[in-house]
Amino acid sequence: MANIEINGQQVEIDEDGFIVNPEQWDENVAAYFCKDEGIEELTDEHWKVINYLRDYYQQFEVAPMIRKLCKETGCNLKKIYELFPSGPAKGACKVAGLPKPTGCV
Amino acid sequence: MDNIKPQDMGKTSDVLVRPEKLMPLPAPYDKPGMEPEFKPVKDTWKEDFCTSLDGFVGNDTLARPKTKEEEQEMIKKFLSGLDKLFSDQTNRGYLQPLALSFEYCAKCNTCSEACHTFKSSGETEIYRPIFRSEVLRKIYRKHKNGDSLVNRFIGGDIDLNIETILRLGELAYRCNLCRRCAQTCPLGLDNGLLAREIRKIFSMEMGIAPKPLHEKGTVNQLKIGSSTGLNKAALLDVIEFIEEDMYDKTGKEYKIPMDKKGADILLTHNAGEFLAWPENPAAFAIIFEEAGLNWTLSSEMIGYDNVNYGLFYDDAQAKKIGIQQFKAARDLGVRKIVIGECGHAHKAATVSMDRNVAGEDNIPRESFLPLLQDLIRKKAIKQDPSRNNFPVTLHDPCNMARMMGLIMPQREIINTICPQFREMTPNGAQNYCCGGGSGFAIMNSFNFPEFRNKIASRMKFKQILNAFQDTIEDPETPKYVCAPCSNCKGAIRDILDYYETTAKFNVHYGGLVELVVNAMPQFERPFLDFLDEEAGMM
Repeated sequence: MANIEINGQQVEIDEDGFIVNPEQWDENVAAYFCKDEGIEELTDEHWKVINYLRDYYQQFEVAPMIRKLCKETGCNLKKIYELFPSGPAKGACKVAGLPKPTGCV
Repeated sequence: MDNIKPQDMGKTSDVLVRPEKLMPLPAPYDKPGMEPEFKPVKDTWKEDFCTSLDGFVGNDTLARPKTKEEEQEMIKKFLSGLDKLFSDQTNRGYLQPLALSFEYCAKCNTCSEACHTFKSSGETEIYRPIFRSEVLRKIYRKHKNGDSLVNRFIGGDIDLNIETILRLGELAYRCNLCRRCAQTCPLGLDNGLLAREIRKIFSMEMGIAPKPLHEKGTVNQLKIGSSTGLNKAALLDVIEFIEEDMYDKTGKEYKIPMDKKGADILLTHNAGEFLAWPENPAAFAIIFEEAGLNWTLSSEMIGYDNVNYGLFYDDAQAKKIGIQQFKAARDLGVRKIVIGECGHAHKAATVSMDRNVAGEDNIPRESFLPLLQDLIRKKAIKQDPSRNNFPVTLHDPCNMARMMGLIMPQREIINTICPQFREMTPNGAQNYCCGGGSGFAIMNSFNFPEFRNKIASRMKFKQILNAFQDTIEDPETPKYVCAPCSNCKGAIRDILDYYETTAKFNVHYGGLVELVVNAMPQFERPFLDFLDEEAGMM
């Protein structure tokens, strides 16, 4: 666990760089996580994925299955990897401020 | 340091040993540059956790004490936990096998030759199955008999200090609990059981267990219903999506029965399937519906997640979860539970829980394998093996094969529907663990995935490569590792990704029911995505 400062806000992240309290997430946090992901700028396509993940998480308190993410956003897995090089879980979910997935997933 | 002895566990050093000369891999991974190197250990980890065993951090709640007082407190706690293991009052269920395995080891090391972690690591001394057990024995003798000269000669020669305790807390998580060692021991001793008993001391007495197993695992499951965090509303959303997906793939509308009172069968899945491998519950639904079975899933508390991580580290958690799972079946009034493709759920529900639940609550339960075998034998579902005409090999989940003797049904099925089936060597009850056993597949913090991918899973990776040697370097030929267990699938997914085996050599993985549905001739599209051009990179 470590605290990092993003725009004056202390944000707690775990060993793998995931946010611990999803309510601390905002656009500045997303921008911070992007740097680690090697994303230069968040495009509309990035935001489509991020917003879908956040909406789903707010409704169900769990990340959606990857298949559903692809279908609902119209981005296939290859596209998700292009947008978020570490993939849907370690990349997209992390930038979207979802906690690290748990269980046998 | 060569020739490390159990006594060295208490010696202060940066790291006791770093595994170096790992077991060579078969072609094409015998060439230089094919395997990622270990990454350096971070200095901050050294201060806060225990990296002094082998440089890996597996137990992410095993925090290094900051003061002498804290150190003494931790040692004291460990010893009181150790006492509880040997008391009939506190460890009745396991005392007998523990005592037998504790007393009679002849140090013949037959077990070491059977251990995939020991062999894969290039025979790193600390990974011998008996090394860990011997440390525990020495601690016990010292604790019971004191530091006399005589006691030092009869096995009490170890420093009972914080390094010994911390390193043992990590070493308990270098064993997959696959019990291949127990199978081979001429005296029938079970070093896997001893590793688990050590985990119990840390968890049940000291409150120290890897977060993915405890805090995010069993605690989540008892609170939310699933270790994945999947609550009832999310589950129902997933089910709806799976139904849509089945329609897209098959052109037929299937309805998944939920909470159907009085059904014959309550089918239970590892909830990881719903989120990571939805094609698996989908395949089960297609098979069960086509065969006309009277079945249901449960959406009630814990009734939809058959995992029981308590099995890996904590008897109390295991019992709480097991009882809830049986309750879900009782409430629905089903005749039996059928366990889907999850190895440890098989053992937990059928074997381990048997002694914990008595009378009417002890509801009948069985593996999906004999049922599926029966459906294929009786031709209850149509099968066209030519649809599975690519190389397929089979991984035996330890909990099904070694622990329960479930070996022939999956072979009969796969021999019927996969013309290019080939066995791994060895297989069946002699199989090797996938490297993900006992929770390793989900322990992904710090550098533990490196330990898993490069050492614990190495023997399985070798077996997979060997099984496909004829076509491994032909990227045009898709190859399939059938692993009917979520945990094993997770571990195999990670090795195929880590070594880029899917990307470079077209090796895929998945369960058994997916192959069955893929062989159904009534569907136009293949069920397996890697054969389905329409599915693209989904």
